[in-house]
Amino acid sequence: MLAKEDESRCYLYLNGRVIGHIADPDAYVSEIRAARRKGLISGETNIAFIKSLNVININTDRGRIRKPYIIVEHMKPKMTPEIVEKVKKRELDFNSLLRNGILEYLDAEEEENALVAFNEEDITDKTTHMEIDVASIFGFTVNTSPFPEHNNIARHAMLANFTKQAEGLYASNFNLRFDSRGYLLFYPQAPIVTTVAYDGANIKHHPSGQNFVVALSTYYGYNMADAIVVNKSAVDRGLGRSIFYKTYVDEERRYPGGQKDKFKIPQPTAEGYMGEHAYSKLGDDGIIEPEMKVVEGDALIGKVAPPRFLEESIGAGGLEEKMRDDSSVLKTGETGSVDSVIFTESTGATKIVKVRVRSLRIPEKGDKFASRHGQKGVIAMVVPQEDMPFTAEGIVPDLLLNPHSIPTRLTFGHLLEELAGKAGAVGGHIVDGTAFTEKGSARIEGYGKILEKYGFDKNGEETLYDGMTGKPFKAGIFTGVVYYNRLYHMVSNKIQVRSRGKVQILTHQPTEGKARQGALRFGEMERDALIGYGASLLLKERLLDQSDKAEVLICKECGDIGYYDRIKRVTICPLCGSNSFAEVEISYAFKILLDEIKSLHIMPEVRLNV
Amino acid sequence: MAKEKSSDFKVEFGEPVGMIAAQSVGEPGTQMILRSFHFAGIESAIATSGLPRIVELVDAKKRPTTPLSTIYLDAKASRNIDDAEKVAAKINEVRMGTLVRRIIENFAKGTIKIALSRQELESEDMTPRQVADRLGKLLSLEVAVEGLVLTVKTHTKNLKEVRAVRVKIMRSVISGIEGAGKAIVQKNLKTGEFYIISAGSNIEGMMGIEGIDKSRIYTNDVFAIYRLFGIEAARNAIARELQLTLDEQKISVDLRHLLLIADAMTASGSVKGVGRHGLSGEKKSVFARAAYEETVKHLINAAAFGETDQMRGVTENILVGKQIPIGTGSVRLAIKKEDMSKVKP
Repeated sequence: MLAKEDESRCYLYLNGRVIGHIADPDAYVSEIRAARRKGLISGETNIAFIKSLNVININTDRGRIRKPYIIVEHMKPKMTPEIVEKVKKRELDFNSLLRNGILEYLDAEEEENALVAFNEEDITDKTTHMEIDVASIFGFTVNTSPFPEHNNIARHAMLANFTKQAEGLYASNFNLRFDSRGYLLFYPQAPIVTTVAYDGANIKHHPSGQNFVVALSTYYGYNMADAIVVNKSAVDRGLGRSIFYKTYVDEERRYPGGQKDKFKIPQPTAEGYMGEHAYSKLGDDGIIEPEMKVVEGDALIGKVAPPRFLEESIGAGGLEEKMRDDSSVLKTGETGSVDSVIFTESTGATKIVKVRVRSLRIPEKGDKFASRHGQKGVIAMVVPQEDMPFTAEGIVPDLLLNPHSIPTRLTFGHLLEELAGKAGAVGGHIVDGTAFTEKGSARIEGYGKILEKYGFDKNGEETLYDGMTGKPFKAGIFTGVVYYNRLYHMVSNKIQVRSRGKVQILTHQPTEGKARQGALRFGEMERDALIGYGASLLLKERLLDQSDKAEVLICKECGDIGYYDRIKRVTICPLCGSNSFAEVEISYAFKILLDEIKSLHIMPEVRLNV
Repeated sequence: MAKEKSSDFKVEFGEPVGMIAAQSVGEPGTQMILRSFHFAGIESAIATSGLPRIVELVDAKKRPTTPLSTIYLDAKASRNIDDAEKVAAKINEVRMGTLVRRIIENFAKGTIKIALSRQELESEDMTPRQVADRLGKLLSLEVAVEGLVLTVKTHTKNLKEVRAVRVKIMRSVISGIEGAGKAIVQKNLKTGEFYIISAGSNIEGMMGIEGIDKSRIYTNDVFAIYRLFGIEAARNAIARELQLTLDEQKISVDLRHLLLIADAMTASGSVKGVGRHGLSGEKKSVFARAAYEETVKHLINAAAFGETDQMRGVTENILVGKQIPIGTGSVRLAIKKEDMSKVKP
């Protein structure tokens, strides 16, 4: 790169490389821009004059994020009413607006040179561009949520994540699909409060949520800290109800040496046979039948495979080849019905079986829900309708949201949506919640008028009556309709318990993870905490007695580990042949360490204080 | 009553004070990482703070990333700004490198031409003549002055030697104390006292300057304090610096935890870090060392020297599955009940 020797010169960088210097940067930049607007040079060129560094940056490379703006010249936007008319009549399209210098794309760098007005009233003599729509300062995902301009930016980031996790009608051919995991909401609804972006993307034809009647109220402390309370009768009527599909796949593989797998009910002689009961639901062909109720441990696809090591197959009488059970079993903690079974073929002409298991997911304690404002919550209690608060009209909320969850998160859009949703519900129409279309105060007023028209409080407040005592609450409680998503994190897929169980072969320590029925790790920091308390016996219990305790024989002569010879019925030290031993409790991990040290050609010697 | 209460807080025999100190510093440390982001982008002149500074102290780095000294002045200079500035000028380290705008060697003639920066000269209040004289003395070479341009005659035409002289020129200290850094006079707004802060830690050199209060000189360089004042001072410096850094982040950790860390680091008579090259690497137990870092190295060395692990520490006892000699595990049965009768009073 050319060294920048003279501060007074304005250097010109093309895609980050110096290509020369310019005497009059302002004139140069406006010349390039004029040429671009005329279509003389590519519209993908962006130029920016950075005054503080006295540098011009021209960018034409790929990967820049750019956004279209209406060009403003002499305080007049180029997008005149006549042109708008033509666009409406479809005489002009977007690209022709770009070609004719009415719109142009700016990148992040050129935006620094622009002064963008929100609308025509904001235009001053310094304005260079105008937004096509003010809502376009947000991205698409944010624009699908209602009233985003009233929410904290950090909540929008959360919203984007929750939207991805929402259950809904994820594909209209779900019945023909064999997704490894699929979540399907029973009664998806289009939101009462929508936005232009939401309608434009046609999401309302495959929605992923439901309109909940929400009261902003506590419930005997059961909805503290992002917990939510839901109405049991609403759940019984189908609120948030969904189906969970899981597909098990298996294949008749071929192995080198002519051996291959076979779908069938394994014979009791097969290695790893799980007992007659496990295979009781399989059909004659070894595959489970549709609509069969299955629980954990049931085989879905019966399959036998050749043994893992060659020697095992030889010398087994020779009559029948020894086989190994390789059936697909319903995983721990899962239950359901077999939804459908298909047979198909791989590219290698081997047989493939897919079994889709369906199970009902009724909202229960621990299931996760979120509104479109980054407000997530977990069900803490499912309350019978008769114990829920109710209004004079007899309306019982579906969900009780703790009012403390609003002010600190600055999600005022949530409140607006609640009010707008209520107005839409009582008025029987869809409400538009696109960003910046109206001022917040005007919106509140508008919705209030609709509510008043139907005899509701204009602020959305209701007198609620305690379901337990029948007495009215002194304060008016803000009640409305909010669109809620059910997220696919459900306890029934995550719950796991263990008291005693499997251990790893190598270390003799408990296994880890749900799939292996594992234990929770008592890690280093937990260990440090016990040391900090001086609880040395508790620590020994956790790390030895409850983990990998091993009793070994230590040779009193040479300090090596000895063993018991079952044939000769004596204990022997393999190193010195001595028969005098001490039985010592050590961790199996230490035994492995001694073995590994030996593998380094170092002889460890254990000396005992007896 | 107060005495009774205070004895409740006494450390009991067998209490794992080191572990508690480590946790007491470590836990707030996790919050610090998140917070230090707020300070990103501020002027680089500010001293390192937050977690990097803690790591630096605990690892016993030979030189802090941003050395800083506070030099208090004697009765006369601390009341008079002019006197204070004079002392500061004596300390303020000016290197040739900062004054030079351009430097060109002439290998054919064996001369080096140096163009000085007028701006830098003015800010250091120096003339080209002064620079030339000082440079000539330092290099024992002839230095000619012509306006802002100095010409050094090297008496050699050997390329490497000329280059070596150039490097020497750029590194030479024209005025002030080597390793003292930039020295600026500050005023204590409460007492009205003038003092000097400098971006260096050569307090040994600064002690020789007239007009300073030798009893109050301070630096954040633990090793400089250790060299000048000894190990006890270094211990206090470590604890003090740790506390200052934590206070800056509004984290309150009891001083006694920090003193324990400082004690552990200085107990051997020299300043040692807590890591692999310090305390952890010098543990007696082979297993404890092998469990930390460089497992194989420690095992092989232990084998070569026939080391014996006495199994007295925490790590090694957890490893084999024995009760650890801490807390409830630190007591042992001295004599069995039935044996008591055998003991004659």
